[in-house]
Amino acid sequence: MIGRRDFGRLAAGAGLALATRPRLTRAAGMSDFKAASGQPVYFRGWQYKTDIVQSNVSHYNTSQGGHVDYATVTGDYPAIMEQNLMSGGQLDVLYGNPSQATRYFDGGWIAPIEELQTYDEIKAEFLPNLWDAWTYKGKLLGLSYFATTRGVIHVNLKAFNGAGLADKDFPKSWDELYDTVFALKDKGVATPFLPHWFGEWYGISWAFVFEVLNRGGKVADDETHKPTLTTDKSGPAYKTLAAWKKLWNAKLVPSEVLTYNEAAYIAAFGSGRYVFSPQQLYDLQSFNEKGKSQIAGFDSLLPVQGQSWGLIDSALYMMTKRQRPDPVTEDVKKFTSWYGFKDDTGKIAIGERWMQESMLFSAYKSIMDSPATEARIKQAVARPEDYKAVLDVYKATPYPSGIWKVVWSEEYNSWLKDSLANFLLQDGDIISMITASNDKIKELNDKYGI
Amino acid sequence: MASDRARRELSDTQFALAIGMPVFVFLVIVVAYPLGYAIWMSVHKIVFFGGYRSTFTGWANFARVLSDPNFWWSTWVTIRLTFEAVMLTMLLGLALALMLNRPMVGGGLVRTVVFLPWCVSLYGAGLMFAYLARGQTGLGTSIAYAFGSMASVDLMTREVVIEVLAVGAAWTMAPLVAFFLLANLKTIPSRLYDLAALDRLSRFETFWNVTLPPLRYTLFVFTSIITVLSMKLFDFIFVMTGGGPGTTSATLTYQIYKVSFKNLDLGYGAAMSFYLLFFILASTFLLYLVWGRRETRF
Amino acid sequence: MRRNRYLAIAVVLALLWSLVPIYWFCRMALLTPLEIQQYPWPLFPRAPNVASFWNIFGYDYFLSDGTRVPASGQANQIIRGLYDSIFVSVVVTVLTLLAVLPLAYVFARLEFRFKSVLLFAILLSVALPPVSTLIPFYAMYIRLGLSGTLTGLVIVDLTITVPFVAWMLIGYFRNLPPIERLARMDGYGRLAAFVQLVIPLAKSGIAVAAVIAFLFAWNEYTYALVLVNGSTANTLPTAISGFLFQDPQPANLAASVVVTIIPPALVAYFLQRHVGEMNLVDPVR
Repeated sequence: MIGRRDFGRLAAGAGLALATRPRLTRAAGMSDFKAASGQPVYFRGWQYKTDIVQSNVSHYNTSQGGHVDYATVTGDYPAIMEQNLMSGGQLDVLYGNPSQATRYFDGGWIAPIEELQTYDEIKAEFLPNLWDAWTYKGKLLGLSYFATTRGVIHVNLKAFNGAGLADKDFPKSWDELYDTVFALKDKGVATPFLPHWFGEWYGISWAFVFEVLNRGGKVADDETHKPTLTTDKSGPAYKTLAAWKKLWNAKLVPSEVLTYNEAAYIAAFGSGRYVFSPQQLYDLQSFNEKGKSQIAGFDSLLPVQGQSWGLIDSALYMMTKRQRPDPVTEDVKKFTSWYGFKDDTGKIAIGERWMQESMLFSAYKSIMDSPATEARIKQAVARPEDYKAVLDVYKATPYPSGIWKVVWSEEYNSWLKDSLANFLLQDGDIISMITASNDKIKELNDKYGI
Repeated sequence: MASDRARRELSDTQFALAIGMPVFVFLVIVVAYPLGYAIWMSVHKIVFFGGYRSTFTGWANFARVLSDPNFWWSTWVTIRLTFEAVMLTMLLGLALALMLNRPMVGGGLVRTVVFLPWCVSLYGAGLMFAYLARGQTGLGTSIAYAFGSMASVDLMTREVVIEVLAVGAAWTMAPLVAFFLLANLKTIPSRLYDLAALDRLSRFETFWNVTLPPLRYTLFVFTSIITVLSMKLFDFIFVMTGGGPGTTSATLTYQIYKVSFKNLDLGYGAAMSFYLLFFILASTFLLYLVWGRRETRF
Repeated sequence: MRRNRYLAIAVVLALLWSLVPIYWFCRMALLTPLEIQQYPWPLFPRAPNVASFWNIFGYDYFLSDGTRVPASGQANQIIRGLYDSIFVSVVVTVLTLLAVLPLAYVFARLEFRFKSVLLFAILLSVALPPVSTLIPFYAMYIRLGLSGTLTGLVIVDLTITVPFVAWMLIGYFRNLPPIERLARMDGYGRLAAFVQLVIPLAKSGIAVAAVIAFLFAWNEYTYALVLVNGSTANTLPTAISGFLFQDPQPANLAASVVVTIIPPALVAYFLQRHVGEMNLVDPVR
C-alpha cells in the first residue's frame, strides 16, 4: 500500500519527469558535460584506491573545466553520511550501498537518476537484476560504481589439496561446507574456516543474511517487509544459527574475528592459514596477486552446484538534493553522468577502469560483455576453469530486497550485528534469536508505519 | 591599611576580569552552548524521517535509559575497565617512579623512553594494541612460535579483552603519574632515609613510613585524574575493539557514540551522556570523601 | 651489588614495557607486503626495508632484488593529513598559550571574587567526556558553516587544551618567587611586570605547556572523526584510518602511525625533564 506522502512524492516525481524530459533530450550532445557554474561540486566516498578516484576526478576537472572537490570518509561510513545529508552539509555526489540509498531516498536527501538527461540510455544499458536491486518506489537511485558477490566461498587450494581433497570434493551447499570443515578438522587442519563474522557494518550481519538467502530463505518479505524467518529446525535461519553455534563451540573460530576490520579479515585469509572463507568475489584478484598474498596462484572459489553463494554487494553513485543554486545542480548532474556512466567520448571509461584495475563488476551490459572484461577475469583467477565459476556464481547471486529496500535497513543491520555477536559469545538460544529478529523487524515496521 | 587592601583587591578583580574575560567568554560559548544543547536534546524526542520534528518529552529519555539493559551492561563494563585501569596505572606509575628515583647510568635516556608512551596518541596506541593482542598478528603467537608452538594466542576474547584494554590504557597513562610522583620523591630529604637506617627499619617499613607519606596526596589527586580519564576513554576503545567482540567492551562512551551517532537517537544519547557525566563527578567526589579529605597537602 | 642487579632488571623490564608496542609497529612498517601476510609474524624482520615510508608519501620503492613496492593509493590523504595536522597543532599551541598565560597568571597570583567558582568551571570542562558534546558541536558547526573546516577543528581543540593547560600553569605560576611587588616598586605596571619579568622567569613551564597543547591537538581523534571527516580538512589520524578498509596495507598503516609518533618522540626528552615541575596536583592552594 502506498502511503499518502509517498503517493505525493511519486506524483511530484512523475510531474517533474514529464516536465523536464523533452527539454533534456533535445540538449543531448558531447559538450554537455562542461561545468558551467564555476562553483565546487562536493564528491565523497569511502577510502578504496583513492589514487584512482583522484585521477578520474582530476581528468574531469581538466577536460571539462569542473571544480569537483573529492575527499574521503573513514570510520562508520553510513552514519557519517547520514549526518551529512541530514544537516544539508557540503555534499553533492556520494558513494553508497543500495540499502543506504533507500534510506536516503526516504529521507528526501537524494535525487533519482531519472533527472539525468542520459536516463533512457542508462536504462537500456542496465543489467536487469541490478536494475531491480537499485530501484526503489519506481526510481533508480544511483549509477553503477560496482557490483559483486560478497560471501562467495574462496578456497585456498594449497591447503585444500594438501589435505588430500580435490575439486570433486567441493561442497555444494552450506551444510556440505560445514561437513567438510569438520572433516578437515578431524584430519588435523587447525583452522579450516574463517567465517564472515568481522566487526564492520557489512560483516557478521551480512553473513547471516546471505547464508539464509543461499539456503533458500528470506529475512523479510520483499514487498510487505513483514518478518518471514521461521523457528522450525529445518528452516534456513535455524540451520544457519545452529551451524554457527556448532562452529563456535568447537572453538574452530578465534573470537578475534568479531573485532576484525575488513583489512584484518582479508589479511587473515591471505596468510594462508585457512582453507575456506566467504570473501568478495573481486578479491580473487588480490589474493592471486604475486607478492601480495601467501596464497597467490592458489585462490579458487566454490562453484554453483545447485545452491547460490553470498549476496549482491554493490555500490552506487548518488546525487544529493541539498539546497544549492540551480546552475550548481546542473553541474552535479553533468558530473554524475560523466563519472557514473559515459564520459565525453561516449565510453563508460571509469567503469572499465575499475574492471581492469580491481576486477570490480559493473551494472552495465557493455562492460560485462566486453572481451577486455573476460581477459581481465581470466588473468585474475588461479585456474582457467575458474572463469566460468566466477560468472556462474555472480549470475546466481541473490539480493535481500526485503530488508534492504526499506527505510529501516541500516537500523536493522546495526541491531543484527550486535545481536549475532552476542548470540555467539553468550551461547544464546537459537529460537529466541530468530524471534528477536522478527520482533525487531515488526518494531521497525511499526516505527515507520510500514 | 584595610582600605588600602580593599582598593588593591578591587583592582585585582578588575585586572583579573580584563585579562581573563576573553578566555571565559570563549569557554562559555564553546563549552556551555553544546552543554545547553545537550540538555535541550535530552528532554526532546527528535525525528528525522518524514520531515524533522522535535517534541518535548520531559524526563522520558532519562527514564528510558534506566530500563535499558545495554546501558547497565555498559555501566558495568565502564566500572570494570576504570577500576582495572586505575589500579594498574597507579601501581605502575609508582613502580616506575621508584625505579627512576635511583641514580643510574644513562638515566636521561631511560626516563625519555619511559615517558614516551604518554606522548603516543590513544588512537595510535589502540592500533598498536589491536595488532599486539590479535592471534593473527600478535606478539603472543609469535613468541609461542619461537618456542615451537603453533598455538594462536588470541587476547581479543570475551574473557580478557577488558583487561587488555586496561593494560593498554595503563601503558599510555602511567608515565604521567610516574613523573609527578618522581618530582615528589625528589623533595624527600635524604636525611630521613639516614634516620630510617639508624632505626633499622626494614626496606618495606622505610617505604611505608618515609617514602609513602609525602606521596599520598599526589596519589590521591592522580587516582582522581586517572579515574576521570578512564571513564572518558573513547578513541582507544573505538580503534582497538570497536566495543567488541559483540558488545563485550562497549563502555558508556562507546554506547553513547553508538546511540547518538550511529542510531541517531539524539535525545536518548544525550540523556545517557548526562548519566556518564554524573558518574564521573560522583566517583571523584566519592574518592574525595573516602580518601582525599583525610590527606594533608604537602 | 644485589640492589644494582635488581635495579638493572627493573630498568630492562621498564624499557621493554615502554618499547615493545612501539617496536611491534616499527617492525611491521619494515616488513615486505608478502612477509606481513605470513602467519605467525616473525619477531624480527628478516630483510628490513623502508619501502612503506616512501609509499605513504606517494613514491614507489624498489627492494634490493628489484621488486617494485608500489606507492600507496592513499598517499594524497596522508600528505594532506600531515599538512593539516601540523597546521592545526601549531595554531592550537599558539592560541592556547595566548589564552592561557594571562588566565593562569591571574588565577595563580591574584585574589578576586568568584575565583573558586570559575576554577570549578574549568575543572568541570576537563571532566566533560567528548562523546557527550559531539552531536551538539556537530549541530552548531553545521549552522555556523564550521564543519569540515580546520578553523572548526582548532576551536574544538581549544576547548580541550585551554582548561587542561590552564590547570597545569596555575600551579606552576603559584610556585614562582613573588617578584611582582618588587617590580611594582621599580615602577613596572601590572602588565609590564607580567610580560617582561614573569614570562621569562616561567619559560620552562610555558614550554611544557606549549608542548602539551601541541600533543593534545596532534593526537586528537574523536572530534576529527566526526567534525571534519569527509572533507578536505582531514587530519592525520582520520587519514590513517583509511588503511583499515578494503585494501589491506598493514605496512603502510604502521609506517603512518610511526610518522605520527615522531614529533612526540622528539619532545619526550624535553618533557620528561620538565613535566614534574608543573603543579598538576594542587594548583589552588
